[in-house]
Amino acid sequence: MFKKLLIANRGEIAIRIMRSAQELGVRTVAIYEETDKAAMHIMKADEAICIGSGPRKDYLSIERIIHAAKTTGAEAIHPGYGFLAENPSFSKECTDAGLVFVGPPPDVIRDMGSKVIARRIMTDAGLPMIPGTAVLEQEAAGEKEAIRFAKEYGFPIMIKAVAGGGGRGIRAVQNESELIKGLKMARSEAQMAFGNDEIYLEKALTRTRHLEVQILADQHGNVIHMGTRNCSIQRRHQKLIEIAPFSLPQELLDRVCDTAVKAAKACKYINAGTVEFLLDEQDQFHFLEVNTRIQVEHTVTEMITGIDLVREQIRIAAGKPISFTQSEVHFRGSAIELRINAEDPKNNFMANPGVIQIYQSPGGHGTRVDGAVYQGYEIPRYYDSMLIKLTVYGFTWREAVDRMRRTLDSLVIAGVKTTIPYYKQIVNDPDFIEQRFDTSYIESHRYLLDYQDEVPELEKLARFVAEINAHGYNRHADVS
Amino acid sequence: MSSRERVTPQMTSREILEYLHHATGYFVTNNERDVSQSDFKCRIMPHTTLKVAPYRDDTGFFAMEITGGATVHVDLLRKQINPFEKLRLVRKSMPNTLLQAGCRGRSLFGYRPYPDNVLRLAVRLFSQYIDVWRVYDFMNHVPSLLVVAEEVKKAGKVLMPCICFTTGVDHTDDFYVAKVEEIISAVGEEVILCIKNHSAVGSPRRISELVQAIRRRFPDLLLAYHGHNTDGNDLARMVTAVLEGVKIVEVADHGYGGIYSQAPALSFIQTLHDYGYKTPGFKVQPLVDASDILRLERRQYEQFESPFRGIDPTVKRHKLTGGAASMAFEQADQLGLLERMHEVFSELVLLNQELGNIWSVTPGSQILLTTALNNVLHGRYERPSDDLKRLLLGRYGPFPFHEPQEWIYQKVLESNRADGKKWYQILADEAGIHQVPDENLEAKRSELEAQIKRPANDEELCLYLQFPRDAVEYFRFEEQFGKTWLLPPNVWFKRGGFEDGARITFPDYAGRTHHIDIISTRRSGDLVHTSLLVDHHFQTHTTPVSAKGALPS
Repeated sequence: MFKKLLIANRGEIAIRIMRSAQELGVRTVAIYEETDKAAMHIMKADEAICIGSGPRKDYLSIERIIHAAKTTGAEAIHPGYGFLAENPSFSKECTDAGLVFVGPPPDVIRDMGSKVIARRIMTDAGLPMIPGTAVLEQEAAGEKEAIRFAKEYGFPIMIKAVAGGGGRGIRAVQNESELIKGLKMARSEAQMAFGNDEIYLEKALTRTRHLEVQILADQHGNVIHMGTRNCSIQRRHQKLIEIAPFSLPQELLDRVCDTAVKAAKACKYINAGTVEFLLDEQDQFHFLEVNTRIQVEHTVTEMITGIDLVREQIRIAAGKPISFTQSEVHFRGSAIELRINAEDPKNNFMANPGVIQIYQSPGGHGTRVDGAVYQGYEIPRYYDSMLIKLTVYGFTWREAVDRMRRTLDSLVIAGVKTTIPYYKQIVNDPDFIEQRFDTSYIESHRYLLDYQDEVPELEKLARFVAEINAHGYNRHADVS
Repeated sequence: MSSRERVTPQMTSREILEYLHHATGYFVTNNERDVSQSDFKCRIMPHTTLKVAPYRDDTGFFAMEITGGATVHVDLLRKQINPFEKLRLVRKSMPNTLLQAGCRGRSLFGYRPYPDNVLRLAVRLFSQYIDVWRVYDFMNHVPSLLVVAEEVKKAGKVLMPCICFTTGVDHTDDFYVAKVEEIISAVGEEVILCIKNHSAVGSPRRISELVQAIRRRFPDLLLAYHGHNTDGNDLARMVTAVLEGVKIVEVADHGYGGIYSQAPALSFIQTLHDYGYKTPGFKVQPLVDASDILRLERRQYEQFESPFRGIDPTVKRHKLTGGAASMAFEQADQLGLLERMHEVFSELVLLNQELGNIWSVTPGSQILLTTALNNVLHGRYERPSDDLKRLLLGRYGPFPFHEPQEWIYQKVLESNRADGKKWYQILADEAGIHQVPDENLEAKRSELEAQIKRPANDEELCLYLQFPRDAVEYFRFEEQFGKTWLLPPNVWFKRGGFEDGARITFPDYAGRTHHIDIISTRRSGDLVHTSLLVDHHFQTHTTPVSAKGALPS
């Protein structure tokens, strides 16, 4: 086991990784940009190093991060999620620099990062695929192929960027004119977003659910799965709520998990990853993509298995075999994770940076908080708006929902608008409680946005006391 | 029915009246509303009211007057509590005592006549909590009572119509008995007729004669007496009233009040006890316990007491009602007229005669006092208020005895007229009561909702219809600061900032105790940062203050 690990990330995931590393006796190094110097992950690390003035560009600088690792004597780098986590060059350059990359090898990241290559590999491996095209040629040839595909499979169709992922670079079209127009726009957007204008088509499935399987694979040929997650509640392809396990018949769960293991083996996967599927109305699942990173929602899997995924990631990266066998992985109960973001749901979920005036964390049995904020912290406007991840466990699904409701009631974040009140609406929604949701849930339940922003009564009174104190009298009582 | 020890809110109005008819002895109503209004500028906070509520509930009052008068407005404006919420709280903490409201007829709880549909909505909504409606009109213009009276009866509540009483050559027993006849013929005998002696005038003998006169004409009519102790003589009038057959008398706690408001309950009861009169179901010990608490609470309201405290026998001349008398000194002080108060009072005596010997109670008392102050300051009728013009135009009803002289009409009505109209033309064209057209309630609700940016319920609409600007400001305040009435009065009325280490302890709506500890205060530019421990959680609140805003001392 290496002695020092640099975490090439910030926020809650950086702290999450540090916890497992520190438990393994591995010292941790935080990196930060000047614009992020008040971030909590810096305080939680054993040491920290500034890698540039920021914002964002230095967290994306492979050169600076590898230099930081070399400077601090780190032997390994954990990329977390986002930033450089799924950049094959980062994995490669780490390896070239003699550093251990806590994640899959570069060619796996590259292959799975290319939607077309991934589709080909998985098709060859016999995975159920959504009907789709190869990479479309430019101009008329590409249009001709697109029209042919549309005629064969019908609308709606998804235009996807080869280099896209995580919900980005996807465009749905409903008819031929939208398709032709969409091809041009999708190319141009893909070029701007990913530096690669390659696109392809997939048949769009309606009323789908997002089903994913957590996998672990080591350098010794062991590949196991850690069960399913239901990530159907999304907004514009960005997950908001994640649940484990996916509530499905056991036979189907077994089949999809076996398929995920087959997929991992097909792409020679190593470390932790996620195989994502779309589940259609007939409960048929179709391969979507492989995410070659630790995911935001990994906590729900940890809650129902009791296994520390990041610990396993570090161990696998250090050349150790997975600590357990498939038969030793047991699933129990249900877990729900919410992403508490500094966003205003009523205002199109617009980011709402500012100073956190009050932060009171929930607790109690079955409650887990993965956060990176503190009272008085000024949320920088340059980075992700996620403040904390709230994960709860319940012996049953209903218990998990009840616990999440209670937990949300005891979580207080004031000073910025957050998604908390919106989630309070959701956990009281009968469709959510009965697990009647698919990927259209947020759009089809827009009335859940009709809530009042509530400031806790005691906080209002405290604010009033502060006002009397500031003015030296109560301006509302006419006693001046 | 006679086996009951006391009336309760669970009884119907008919059962309550039946009980009173058959009960021996007399009853007392605690008029906290008037004590608060007359002696403390309406500022008694819910915190104090709720603190003594269990004792008062146990005492066995006939009722407690808790809302009405100026209180509804001041609840919104200066105490920042929803008047309906206050009633819910009092109702919950005093489940065995009838709650009473003092109502200004068509002017309800305000200063101008409201449309019929606003009156009906308000009475319907307040009747959810109010069991007894004491209704008066300052001109004794009976038609002005009728919409409220009709709605009170429809709600199944006890109607207590009032005759406003004062003294003078015109104020004969015949006049008042005729007024009672007019009331009874309009609303029937299933009421409690109240003699409203707001100005604390008349001798015990005068009250005795009046009660006898009314009882001769209406021997079975239930009577109540509402008086003030401004001249120090109300106890005698109250005793006389009961001796002559009045069934209900309004009182104050001896722990506070007793200057411009009602006389103390205990003194009254002890006196009548010596005459062999009893108050069914009444307990003295909780009355004493309540006052023991109120004595201590009173210190927190000291700043709202009149600068001149004590007996004022000259009220016999100027006849200002309790609340207006205490306010008169303050208004005079603000205008630099404190040294000339004797002139103001003399002017009031003159005005009473010149303006038709009307009754000096809201809104009449405000009209008379403002006119007196203006006359002393600027010359007689040189600066007539709009309300005085309305009075002369008969907007509040006809003058009961005689109209003012022509020169007064001329000075008042022709003042500031851009059209140059003569007073008699103005009278011909504009005089008389104007029927205020009904409001479009749903349009008003939409108007309110646009301002507060959320749906408004009926109670909020009702408050908005009465006090449009102040209600909206209150709703916004409540949204920002919440239920600030939970805080103790010494916080609410705080002067100077809090010292580091100060602790504020209070129970919340559900009775749970909370603590707010002041940790530190720091000023940077126009911002004051107050750090607090709120139930042991650290918080810092930043408050902008103006450049000249005082730093906490």
